[in-house]
Amino acid sequence: MNHAGPVSARRLRLLITISVILVFVFLIRLIDFQVVRAEAINEESYEKRAVARTIPAVRGDILDANGNILATTVYRYDINAAPAIVRPVERKIDGIDQVVSVESVAAELARILDLDVAELLPKLIGTSHYVNLKKRVDAETHRQIVDLEIPWIFADPHQDRLYPNGAVAGNLIGFVGTDGEALAGIERQFNACLAGVDGKETFEKGVDGIKIPSSTVVIQEAKPGRNVILTIDADLQYQAQQVLATEVRRLNADWATAVVIEVKTGRIVLAAEAPSVDPNDPGKSPESERGARAFQFAFEPGSTMKAITAATAIDTGYATVNTPVRAADSMRVFDHVINDSYSHPPTNWTVTGVLRFSSNVGTIKFAERVPAKTRYEYMEAFGFGKPTAVGFEGETRGVLNHYTEWDGVTNYTTMFGQALSVSPVQMASAYQVLANEGVRLNPVLVAGCQDEDGNLTAVPKSNPTQVVSASTANDVMHMLEKIVEQGGIGQATAVAGYRSGGKTGTAEIKEGTGYGQYYAASFYGMAPIDNPKYAMGVMIYKPKKVWTNSMAAAAGYQKILSQVLLANRVPPSTGKSRDLPTEWK
Amino acid sequence: MRNLNQTRARGPLVMIVVMGFLAISILHLLLTIATSQSVYELSDLKREKRELDTTSQIIAEEVASLSSQQNLLNTAAKLGMVANSNPVFLKLDDQSVLGKPKPALGTASQSRNLVANSAMIDTKPAKQEAVPASQTQPQQLPQVASVNAIPASPTR
Repeated sequence: MNHAGPVSARRLRLLITISVILVFVFLIRLIDFQVVRAEAINEESYEKRAVARTIPAVRGDILDANGNILATTVYRYDINAAPAIVRPVERKIDGIDQVVSVESVAAELARILDLDVAELLPKLIGTSHYVNLKKRVDAETHRQIVDLEIPWIFADPHQDRLYPNGAVAGNLIGFVGTDGEALAGIERQFNACLAGVDGKETFEKGVDGIKIPSSTVVIQEAKPGRNVILTIDADLQYQAQQVLATEVRRLNADWATAVVIEVKTGRIVLAAEAPSVDPNDPGKSPESERGARAFQFAFEPGSTMKAITAATAIDTGYATVNTPVRAADSMRVFDHVINDSYSHPPTNWTVTGVLRFSSNVGTIKFAERVPAKTRYEYMEAFGFGKPTAVGFEGETRGVLNHYTEWDGVTNYTTMFGQALSVSPVQMASAYQVLANEGVRLNPVLVAGCQDEDGNLTAVPKSNPTQVVSASTANDVMHMLEKIVEQGGIGQATAVAGYRSGGKTGTAEIKEGTGYGQYYAASFYGMAPIDNPKYAMGVMIYKPKKVWTNSMAAAAGYQKILSQVLLANRVPPSTGKSRDLPTEWK
Repeated sequence: MRNLNQTRARGPLVMIVVMGFLAISILHLLLTIATSQSVYELSDLKREKRELDTTSQIIAEEVASLSSQQNLLNTAAKLGMVANSNPVFLKLDDQSVLGKPKPALGTASQSRNLVANSAMIDTKPAKQEAVPASQTQPQQLPQVASVNAIPASPTR
């Protein structure tokens, strides 16, 4: 016993010493891992497990003046499979665990995805971890797939753009590509408002590459886009497009546009055209029909310009509504002959009569004393020769050459709308001046950019400008009323119960160096005359089934004006038209 | 004796420390369980929100499709309604009639939708020729369409 004691004690001390040293070593190592290099090790470890992902910002909506959604963002889903882990699916059916074969599951998938099972089944065989079965299915279909609880099927969500009303205002709204890039129209012009700011998140994945549940950390929240509010009334826009589509078919025309502007605000109530692009499927329309001709197309206006010429002559004191004119049906200007559109003997017209009978010669007679410089300045003031304040992408400025570039004949032809060109919106805007006591307001298509609290930013300014005096504007408007009241074509634009005014335009279309055989027929005017609310115009391009080109736009104009007045509950007119003689003795 | 007394005196203190340690451990355990439970609840709520968002989107798309002008016009045409672009007004103050009342004949072409909308699928094509209102008999209002008959928005 005595011999064993000291040995055991020594061994015990040795054991304790070694243990203490080992614990000390481990302690130092532990402190090194947990304290000294803890942060660096954590970061290295996290970087290996963590995956960064962009949170796409939801694009804002485009709404009409009444809050109807014209463009919105929805989620679509790519349905994918992982063939490497495809196996029969275990399901509880009627409380009993059952195994559903891959073939049966494929048949279920094919039915929901509207695919041929013979095509789908081979995709599920292989060693790949990814194969796409169908792209961009809607939420309803995606939900049906999820309900099948197939462990080897997964879906990738994508944002997609939906235009619930199809081609209604499609030419204005534009469209976005499948990658979400804005490609045309308001979508592109107001991309800064509509597009939000993408966010960022990370999640951790296991060794098998599968996401660890509840490991998502949002680094930066996505900021959704704002909404763009248009001044368009979608219902009226639709009705106008319906009317135009009908007229294009009836007249066998190439296309047609209609523009209606609210006189007191400059807001564009509708800017319709037919054919019109369906932004849900822009590829179905030829490229020429994907833009907005109301803004982007310039045409020689023809006789609708006579109202502007008359306003200029009256405002500058060179003419009045009753200024006498004696006009034949043709006249020689330098080495050119200018004709009226029909034969007539020399006639004693007033300026009112010249407009009523749309005489080119008569127009020259009362307007030739106005200096070219003055007429040019007035045309500029009416908004011709420059894009409107709408600034629509690709908007035309039209052609208004400087008066110093006008040759002898051009000086005259510009009086009745030749040798210059305008867009449909420019001309409607010019008639808004006549209907608004001579005050021009910038045409407005976008009321503003609306944030989530409803605040509007980027609100356009109307910038009122007195172009002609109120009395001049009213004089011209009352002369235009005579055209609707007495003219054969004008009467076809009348809406019962309302006093309205307007002017026909039948412009030749340039082809090469000369003019072709077809016309751009238009009618521009305003209503009601006693309390003007709307200035509007309809243009039919190249109608081929008409007995007179001037008549082509009348029916469409009447139907659209009728809808606009009715839909906005405009009270019927009171009073009678001014007594304005059309001839003198 | 003195050591024994000291040890006895420390006994309650040790017990307090041990009990405190145990209490803290149990509390920590309970809090950990509660937190874990909340994480699962949060996860469930997030999943539920996703589901509700999806449901909301599905319903919103259906509503948008049903309320599109094209669908409304097709529905109106099925009911025999036609557009009349010849409004007539009755002025109450002098009882005069403004405009000539005309039946909405010759406007059948406008009762057919001519504006494309590939975001709308109509399960039944609209009647090609609408019946003038004057020729229609009073009829029972149609039953509310079943959910399956709702035109759904397609993908593109």
